[in-house]
Amino acid sequence: MTISPTPKRAYDLNFARYVYENIDGGERLRMCMQCGACSGSCPIGKQMDHGPRKLFMMIRAGMKEAVLTSNTIWNCVSCYNCVVRCPRKVPITYILHDLAYLAVQEGYEPAKKADNARFAKAFWWSAAKYGRTDERLVTGKYYFSFGIGEGIKRGLGNQAIALNMIKTKRMHLGMPHAIKAKDELQKILAKAAEIQERHGKGA
Amino acid sequence: MEKGPKAMTRTLTYYPGCSSQASAVHLDKSLRAIMGPLGVALRDIDDWNCCGASVGHIEGGHLANSALSARNLANAQAAGPEDIITPCAACYLNTHYVNESIRGSESLKKDLNEALGAAGKSYDGSLHVRHICEMLVTDIGMGAVKAQVKKPLTGLKVAGYVGCQTVRPFANTERANKFDTYDDPTFLDDFTAACGAEVLPFKLRTHCCGGSVSVMSPDKGLHLIKELLDEVQKLGADVISTPCPLCQTNVEMYQPEINKRFGTNFNIPVVFYSQLMAVAFGLDPVKDAGLDQNIIKSDKLLKM
Amino acid sequence: MEKKIGAYLCSGCGIGEALDVKALEGVVSKEFKKPVKSHECLCGEAGLAVIKADMEAGDVTLPVIGACSPRVMTDRFMLPGMTPIRANLREQVIWSHPAGDEDTQMMAEDNMRMMMTMATKVNQPVPFTEGEFSTTILVVGGGYAGLTAASEASKAGHDVLLVEKKAALGGNAAGYASIVPSKPPYHDPQPNPLPKLIEGVNATKSIRVITGATVAKTSGMPGKFEVELSDGSTHTVGAIILATGFRPYDATKLSHLGYGASPDIVTNVEMEAKLKAGKVTTKAGSSPKAVAFIQCAGSRDPNHLPYCSSVCCSVSLKQAIELTKADPETMVYVIYEEMRTPGTTEEFYRSAQEAGVIFMKGKATKVENGSGITVTVADELLQQDVPLGPLDMVVLATGMVPNSTDPDAPAQEYGAELLTADINPYPAEGDYKPEPSVPPGGPLLNLQYRQGPHLPMLADGFSDSHYICFPYETRRTGIYACGPVRRPMDMGEVHEDAMGAVLKSIQVIRNAAQGHAVHPRVGDLSYPKINLNACTKCRRCTVECPFGAIDENEKDYPVVNPTRCRRCGTCMGACPVRTISFDNYTVEMLSSMVKAVNIPDEDEEKPRILVIACENDAYPALDMAGIAKHQYSPFIRILPVRCLGSMSLLLISDALSSGYDGVILMGCKPGDDYQCHFVKGSAMAKERLSKISETLKSMQLEVERVTMVDASIADGARLPKVIDELVAKIDAVGPNPFKGF
Repeated sequence: MTISPTPKRAYDLNFARYVYENIDGGERLRMCMQCGACSGSCPIGKQMDHGPRKLFMMIRAGMKEAVLTSNTIWNCVSCYNCVVRCPRKVPITYILHDLAYLAVQEGYEPAKKADNARFAKAFWWSAAKYGRTDERLVTGKYYFSFGIGEGIKRGLGNQAIALNMIKTKRMHLGMPHAIKAKDELQKILAKAAEIQERHGKGA
Repeated sequence: MEKGPKAMTRTLTYYPGCSSQASAVHLDKSLRAIMGPLGVALRDIDDWNCCGASVGHIEGGHLANSALSARNLANAQAAGPEDIITPCAACYLNTHYVNESIRGSESLKKDLNEALGAAGKSYDGSLHVRHICEMLVTDIGMGAVKAQVKKPLTGLKVAGYVGCQTVRPFANTERANKFDTYDDPTFLDDFTAACGAEVLPFKLRTHCCGGSVSVMSPDKGLHLIKELLDEVQKLGADVISTPCPLCQTNVEMYQPEINKRFGTNFNIPVVFYSQLMAVAFGLDPVKDAGLDQNIIKSDKLLKM
Repeated sequence: MEKKIGAYLCSGCGIGEALDVKALEGVVSKEFKKPVKSHECLCGEAGLAVIKADMEAGDVTLPVIGACSPRVMTDRFMLPGMTPIRANLREQVIWSHPAGDEDTQMMAEDNMRMMMTMATKVNQPVPFTEGEFSTTILVVGGGYAGLTAASEASKAGHDVLLVEKKAALGGNAAGYASIVPSKPPYHDPQPNPLPKLIEGVNATKSIRVITGATVAKTSGMPGKFEVELSDGSTHTVGAIILATGFRPYDATKLSHLGYGASPDIVTNVEMEAKLKAGKVTTKAGSSPKAVAFIQCAGSRDPNHLPYCSSVCCSVSLKQAIELTKADPETMVYVIYEEMRTPGTTEEFYRSAQEAGVIFMKGKATKVENGSGITVTVADELLQQDVPLGPLDMVVLATGMVPNSTDPDAPAQEYGAELLTADINPYPAEGDYKPEPSVPPGGPLLNLQYRQGPHLPMLADGFSDSHYICFPYETRRTGIYACGPVRRPMDMGEVHEDAMGAVLKSIQVIRNAAQGHAVHPRVGDLSYPKINLNACTKCRRCTVECPFGAIDENEKDYPVVNPTRCRRCGTCMGACPVRTISFDNYTVEMLSSMVKAVNIPDEDEEKPRILVIACENDAYPALDMAGIAKHQYSPFIRILPVRCLGSMSLLLISDALSSGYDGVILMGCKPGDDYQCHFVKGSAMAKERLSKISETLKSMQLEVERVTMVDASIADGARLPKVIDELVAKIDAVGPNPFKGF
């Protein structure tokens, strides 16, 4: 699904406007004054290709590809430090979240490979299918998204943790947790997806 | 005005969240145990579903992810106009945010109601979604908590670890009754003090544990948890207390892995504030407080 | 009326405890044989009554008051008769030197001697009030500044003659679609106020508008300017306001930014014209969807305009907002190095951000015109080159070149030479030394002055206005520049500036008619009188006068135009034969004051150093030192002067030959960023001092004995240290061998 007018362009002068108009909280990005309070507040900024400040300037400079292939959007730990500190009230975390969705939708390679995207896939599968997150199933599905061998390896690596969780009755072994009205939820989600499609909105 | 212990019991709508059935069973258990003495009756949202946590939007998209919360809100409203309270940081963040977004945006309200309509449901934005900690601070008050303490946790050294989303980005907003600050919240230490335990000056109380990033990519987040534990160890804490399910799990379950990677020797119990309250209220440490469900046990707390 | 001097000593404020007042009385009565009285509080009613009684009885016409600094209690000591002479015993003696000390007492006694001597030398000035004085104000330039000035002057009750070169009024502003907001909430562009202003001016009877004309010739002086226009008409006016505005920088010099390469690469002036026309389209006729503004196009660039024109940022904000308003689809980029949005313009900047305008901090390094225009931005925040494109239009935000010359008139060799020679002639060492740059063109007023036809300029070509200290002043008394010819400014600022120039014009018209000086010696009635019998026609006075007040007649003798004069005395200091003097200020007076000081013998080991202090900055700074109780050497004797420019080199040789061990000159900072109240006075002193070594050599004295120090009014804490260091240095040279001669 192509959702921005000019996908896969390294530079796209319309990218900033697209973000302003289609990303949740994007309209506040207009007011960013590049002070860097966000990047300075980020607990994981050093592990990002670019801090949020720079990423936002890249959006304005039309560097669409560089933005949507950066690991910044995947490494955000959602601590909301930047959001509460931004002097221009830019909802930074929200914007990063929706940029991640955009990167997935436009099929950028790093988006396919990102841990976060794989995890989200497993997570959404559980949430949409059962209406609840079954931590056991989500984790398992996530591990096996790397392939069977890697999945087994990761599973074994976390065996001790899993055993501890089972021992303390914080992980169960039976059927997945699920809501009663699964059909109902799926109808709602399908409708939401349809509206999303209708708006042609990325987020 | 703080309500006395004899105040009339009132009912609030309760959204336990997925972790209540898994990694944070003991949070749910201990909360249900202390709410009675504090005069609150919990009525669960009927057939509640997942809130989408920190990643739902990536795969589901913004609107579908919001629709998850919309269904919960619709079910809650169908049961009554009472405030929704939730103990989970992520559940609070998502549900509160979607609720406030619906209240602030007619177009979003319309879209979500259209989605809800597919299942014959609707929501008008009239509810108030609140974090249980905010409710404890605003509605109950520390006086009422103290009044329920039968066994003060005297001598127990507690490092209060608030984490992120319990306070950010809403704690200091009107709709969160400005119950605390973003960078230096004090509510958790107030809880500790109300239980009669010793409050340690834990500076990193709102530093991030890495959240779901630590779950999925430990390489990216474990150093954050290690920094927290270093500081806690330096303070000589008996236990870490936290309100957040993911913080509790991350900080507790990764200690052996951190010890392996960084050559440390952490073995510090991580409990929920509600577990401390349950013990202090003189309730059963296992049946009510769920202390047996902590991977790292606090002998000191168990013997209290 | 016969001059009768009487001295009054105050023993209040600690003077009586720190000094032997009886001994001071003795100086007056024994050495000067004049009556003297003491009082414990001279500025109080009882104290004043003592002086007034003597004056009313006719015993005293000129009181010499030994008390506090002449800079305080001026209103209290404003007495009928001659302006009292004040000996500073408080700030510069007892507050800056130990009480009861022999040296402090000597200092106080010498101060009394100097001021008593001054009293014997001054005469009551007779003001210049000859002939008729006009109250009409000539405004040159019919743009926003000139129209505002004309309108405000007429509202203040003056007749106005408004001369505009073009056929229609309006100037640059006539081309503005809208203007940068000057009213809250500073959010949206405001309508251009010009049409209403023109309407108002045209409807005002007291304003006579002459369009299609320039000034051919200007002679005379404030209150009596004779102006000839290009249409042959002549007019007498009291003051002149120069509001000739600016011309946009020549964009053909900006080919490196793509100007000329495409019709879609335009200047901000051209963009404004498109906005004014109502529809912005590209050459191809479509509405531009992507537009980039390049800020500082040819500005703050040593190869073009070295300065910031201050308005281009806000003008680009305005145009960007207009573009997004006209077509919300348009993406607007502003490429800037520093966004300069002073004051409330910051709100406007925010408004542009809200409109979605994108600001990129960096330098436009390349502009390429292919399929669409691409601007390469060396982005400072991204630390990389960004190829911004394809763009439909590029706007070059060009700066202002002041119309301090008339671009359509041929440059006059004579005037241009004088002008560049006048720019920053004596730069202070190590200071800002800009290359002089004069906009091409001829003089605007064609002044028939000895010092040339131009209004003097600063190095960057803007009309000089004493911009650091007194921005509404100029160096041609009675002629006031306002608007962008003076410095770059937006229309809100132009409005204020025009009102300032009107007020200055009114001041000069009123003062000139009464023979009063204008700023900074407001009300001074004296003016230079030249004894032509002694004049050697050396022309130093006509060349050095900072205000071009002295012309030369056909026989090359100097002619003073009294109402142009600001009474600084630079002519007096320049005259090698001491033939220029004021009624109350002469070289002989200063020399006598210097010589009035007792010079102790060499073996007393009490050196004497003369401090010649500018009374505008150095003298008050020394007062401030006293107020703060900073102590300094009691061996100095302070001689206040109107300006260091009024100091003749002869004064220094007089001091040295009378036995002073050294001389310190304290004046304002010279140079293009001068702080001298009289613009060039301290620079002239510096120039003269550069020749002192010959004088010293001829007297077989060491050069270390004479030093010049820059002093500002804020130097109260610094000057005592400077004095002590210089005194030690002069002391180390040893006593002056002329002592006792």
